[in-house]
Amino acid sequence: MNNFTEILKSINSFLPELSVITTLLLCLIADIIIRKKSPIVTIIAIAGLLVSAYFVYMQSAVQESLFSGMLVIDPFAVFFKYLFILSSIIILIFFEFSNEIKESTHKNEYSYLILSLVLGAFLMASSVNLLMMYLSLELASLTSYILAGYSKSEKKSSESSMKYLIYGAASSGIMLYGMSLLYGFTGSLDIYEISRYLATNPTPNAFIYLTMIMIAAGLGYKTSSVPFHFWTPDVYEGSPTPVTAFLAVTSSAAGFSLITRLFLTTFLGSTQIVDGAFSIIAGIHWQEIIIVISVASMIVGNFVAIWQKSLKRLLGYSSIAQGGYMLAGLVVADTIGLTAMLIYLSAYLFMNLGAFFVTILIVNKLGTDDIEQMKGLGYRLPFVGVAMAVFMLALSGIPATVGFIGKFYLVTALMKPGAGYLWFAIVLMLNSVVSLFFYLKVVKSMFLERADNTDELPGIKFSVQSYIILILLLIPTIFFGLYFGPIVKLAESSAVLFGIR
Amino acid sequence: MFSDYGQIFVFMLVAIAFVLVAFISAIILSPRKPNISKDATYECGEDTVGDTWLRFNFRFYVVALIFIIFDVEIIFLFPWAVVFKELGMFAFLEMVVFLFILILGFVYAWAKGDLVWDKPSPIIPKLDRQIFKAD
Repeated sequence: MNNFTEILKSINSFLPELSVITTLLLCLIADIIIRKKSPIVTIIAIAGLLVSAYFVYMQSAVQESLFSGMLVIDPFAVFFKYLFILSSIIILIFFEFSNEIKESTHKNEYSYLILSLVLGAFLMASSVNLLMMYLSLELASLTSYILAGYSKSEKKSSESSMKYLIYGAASSGIMLYGMSLLYGFTGSLDIYEISRYLATNPTPNAFIYLTMIMIAAGLGYKTSSVPFHFWTPDVYEGSPTPVTAFLAVTSSAAGFSLITRLFLTTFLGSTQIVDGAFSIIAGIHWQEIIIVISVASMIVGNFVAIWQKSLKRLLGYSSIAQGGYMLAGLVVADTIGLTAMLIYLSAYLFMNLGAFFVTILIVNKLGTDDIEQMKGLGYRLPFVGVAMAVFMLALSGIPATVGFIGKFYLVTALMKPGAGYLWFAIVLMLNSVVSLFFYLKVVKSMFLERADNTDELPGIKFSVQSYIILILLLIPTIFFGLYFGPIVKLAESSAVLFGIR
Repeated sequence: MFSDYGQIFVFMLVAIAFVLVAFISAIILSPRKPNISKDATYECGEDTVGDTWLRFNFRFYVVALIFIIFDVEIIFLFPWAVVFKELGMFAFLEMVVFLFILILGFVYAWAKGDLVWDKPSPIIPKLDRQIFKAD
């Protein structure tokens, strides 16, 4: 009976997830009853997410372990839950705008698919048990395979879904094997138990490296990091654009939450934080693996993006590179690095979603995302063009945008005296310079080049609602670039992992 | 001498070696005199007819998937029924919620028409003239 009462007690702290589940079911019932495309289902979904946000807010300062150590609530998880809720509300609105979705034979199915991914992401952000981590990762992944193939009639969409599925199955299989090795060696699935075992028992280095690389394969696939990134450009190009935005922001943020918690907790020597630095078991150098992944992601992402002709593929490679930047915050393994990572993630949310919204609008009107076709487009849709320029500058980290704040904090964290990551900071900055080239290539095509008949083509008008959404995304991109106190404060208070102080 | 994993490793090595030895010795020792009936696919002595790659109707899989869901439901219901008396009202409500979600899924599949088993409409060949004259 003891377990039973504990489960009952845990349910009280499980309300954010429960409200997402309830909303999911309500959306499903509404969809069965309504039987045609209707915004009501989306409204129910958004309302449910707001309810969930309220319950998350109630847990702001709580540190609690749920369901016999399967999940935890800590400020870190709460931060990520805010991130998931905000991004999925924005993306639910994106779905209403996209023509690709309107033409699809499915009607409202995306709303509960998104909620199901949000549920998976919630669990990913708070799980501390290897099995729970795997299950939540799979819940999020399975939903994203379905979403990637959302336009069933489009051959490209089905192809991208198939590729995603095969790649995902292989990498999560490898991750599961790594986890089983870790379990076989340490005799526990709980990451705190594992860290206690590894800290007290000498462990062969080769074994640790093997398990770390295997686990990084599964998580690196979720965050689309090199060398597990091969699915990214194809899936991003083939899926409907709102789905691409969802994969690029929410799904990869969930991956970052898992990778951070797993690597920071599993290899802890003690749960004391000294001068903001996490104490890692002597002889275990997990940072080396993350450094390799991070540097490779930056370089491959940025250099391959230069040659891209499709805007969605370009954003795909850009998100590979951005993932590389964010992993840099993990390498430092201290609270400053963690804070920088959280700041970058929230900056990334606004600027990347903005860039994707402009892509949705352009694809709606042009029917293609070929950058060559966008010659002189800036003169036909001046406001959207300028907005795109702002988002592109933000993504490359130009000052006065939120992207700069993110990069600034990352570089500061890397330049911590005595840590020896100065070279890494330099690599990061040089990569930003490279990225400027392809981000500005889009702007150049829109404004500096002209199609032969630009002057004859009429201007393109969008609905008032699309301008409102665009402005709502532009404001935080610029505002938080100038007044970044709130974001930094929120990230600082959120850089607290359960059981480590 | 070996840890538990070491023993498994040795077992794995022996297994690989066993297969390799069996195959290689068969390649080296066996005489090679192929003929037509030796090369033919073995089907219990019958002559092979048609292709082995048959196509199953996709609907079988949908039905199988829905069957699995209800199969799992039974697995959950059994232990619940065994301890039902001790757990009381809460467990009852818990199971009602579970069954509600499950049945909702079933209704969803039904409403979306996934259970509709389209009958194939084969085109039956017709002839304009009679083959056998009626006289």
